[in-house]
Amino acid sequence: MSDGQDTGRPEFTLVQVADPPSSEEEMAPMFSAPVTDGKRHKNDIFRPGPGPMVEFRGVTKTYDGNSRGLNGVSLRIGTGEFVFLVGPSGSGKSTFIRLIIRELRATSGEVIVGGRDLSTLRRGKVPYLRRAIGCVFQDFRLLPDRTAAENVAYALQVTGHSQKEVRRRVPEILSLVGLEGKFDRLPRELSGGEQQRVSIARALVNHPRLLIADEPTGNLDPETSLGIMDLLLRINRTGTTVLVATHDQHTVDRMQMRVIALDEGRVVRDEESAGYHDETGEVTA
Amino acid sequence: MRIGMFFREALRSIRANAAISVAATVTALIAVFILGAFIPSFMYVRSAVDAQKAKVDVDVYISDTATVPQVNALREKLDGLRSDGTVAAVTYVSKEDALRIMKERLRDPSVLDELPSNPLPAKFNVQPTEAENANVIVAAVKDDPALDPTEGIVYPETTADRLLTAAKFVQWAGFVLIGILLLAAVLLIGNTIRLSIFARRREVEVMRLVGATNWFIRWPFMIEGVICGLVGAVVAVAMLWGIKVGVVDAWAAGADTALTKTGSAAGTIAFPLLTLVLVGAGALLGAVGSGITLRRFLKV
Repeated sequence: MSDGQDTGRPEFTLVQVADPPSSEEEMAPMFSAPVTDGKRHKNDIFRPGPGPMVEFRGVTKTYDGNSRGLNGVSLRIGTGEFVFLVGPSGSGKSTFIRLIIRELRATSGEVIVGGRDLSTLRRGKVPYLRRAIGCVFQDFRLLPDRTAAENVAYALQVTGHSQKEVRRRVPEILSLVGLEGKFDRLPRELSGGEQQRVSIARALVNHPRLLIADEPTGNLDPETSLGIMDLLLRINRTGTTVLVATHDQHTVDRMQMRVIALDEGRVVRDEESAGYHDETGEVTA
Repeated sequence: MRIGMFFREALRSIRANAAISVAATVTALIAVFILGAFIPSFMYVRSAVDAQKAKVDVDVYISDTATVPQVNALREKLDGLRSDGTVAAVTYVSKEDALRIMKERLRDPSVLDELPSNPLPAKFNVQPTEAENANVIVAAVKDDPALDPTEGIVYPETTADRLLTAAKFVQWAGFVLIGILLLAAVLLIGNTIRLSIFARRREVEVMRLVGATNWFIRWPFMIEGVICGLVGAVVAVAMLWGIKVGVVDAWAAGADTALTKTGSAAGTIAFPLLTLVLVGAGALLGAVGSGITLRRFLKV
């Protein structure tokens, strides 16, 4: 059982928050990436350095008997960026994301995350890569027989945190995402938006430096979507790199962030402060 | 390490999947019960065969007309076999001893009083060190002039041969059967646990997603398997105990004397040791079953 849990991870100073904070200044200590004291833990996957958080170099992914995937994608996502990944179904968005968390391996080209070339990452290290990346999905992917608090606690237990630490951090993070008073609800007792908040809390609780959201608002109504996107933006303001794959044209247009558009496995547009469509399309501010 | 947490996780999963946990436990119960009934039976049969093998002896009858030097020569020949390890013991049974033994065996010894003279020949009762050596003894003395012309050499030739064949068969059949039983039990438990894991495939997926290592996912499942195996084993042992006390012991006590003699000669495994073996087997079955089954679900 010597899988070397992250017990040596440095402690963080956390601000005790009574109410959900309204400003990113209050959230900062909670969400910011762990402060390294110069010594890297052996299971700390990311290599320190000024390089980009995510880099694709001529990445192609083909599936057996299916051409869908990615076709020669090269791009960089800098540390601290907020990026929308847009495109129709089957354009390669999911492939892109699954390559980053190494659910898939590139057929050719290099996927580099946090300075690590994932093609050379040993299988045993994959769990540690995933701990450094927070993931949020359209279908929430919560453990159905566990309460909101237990779902978040699981992510902490996985990384080897003490029971004491778990008891302290879980209520904090759940309050931060606005779930005060709903800690002991099972996922089925929560609304879609609330479930997504639980899954965001779970993604954040290990202080990831990269947060990936695959259609996080796909199952939610517009108003709830707005709340979720707002939460993601506030997380980004604390220095966490955020990558959101979405169909939600309205949200993308409203937020005016960097937009990477994929179509049939190729990058067809990569634009700062953009909307869902390029200039020829309908753009709203 | 974090045994406590893994235990809580295992118990939670047993509660959440009560039906499958019961199925796995019953599977373990059946497997352990069959194993528990088979091991002592196998050991009893083997030990009974061994006891019969030990009873194989050779009677070398001495002619009434044999001279003392001839008898002494025969005894020396047999003693020679003893010194090279073929023979364990040589006992001289005189004509008088033979008659006395016969008298003891007969229900109505008075019939012997009507005999004009003692018709029984004297003999050497030869105990071979191993049943296989009976043939060597026979070959060594079969042309001896001191032999009784009518009785000659008497030994349970066919019995000995059959026993040897039976002993070998019992041994191999036993090993093969135990092997098959264990394999079947592992597969059965594995299959039941696969049902459980299949039902929770999404859950395992989520665990991997948040960065749980394979062992972190595996431990609760294996503990779950061990708990089911242990509970099944304990119930099986209780059932076997009931059968031992209620049926086997009662049968042995009430059985015919001859049978009891065979029974007492043939030992079998002591119940506490059997319990230990079975409980260990139950735990191992659970652990190995879930361990093997999990492998295919944990491909990163």
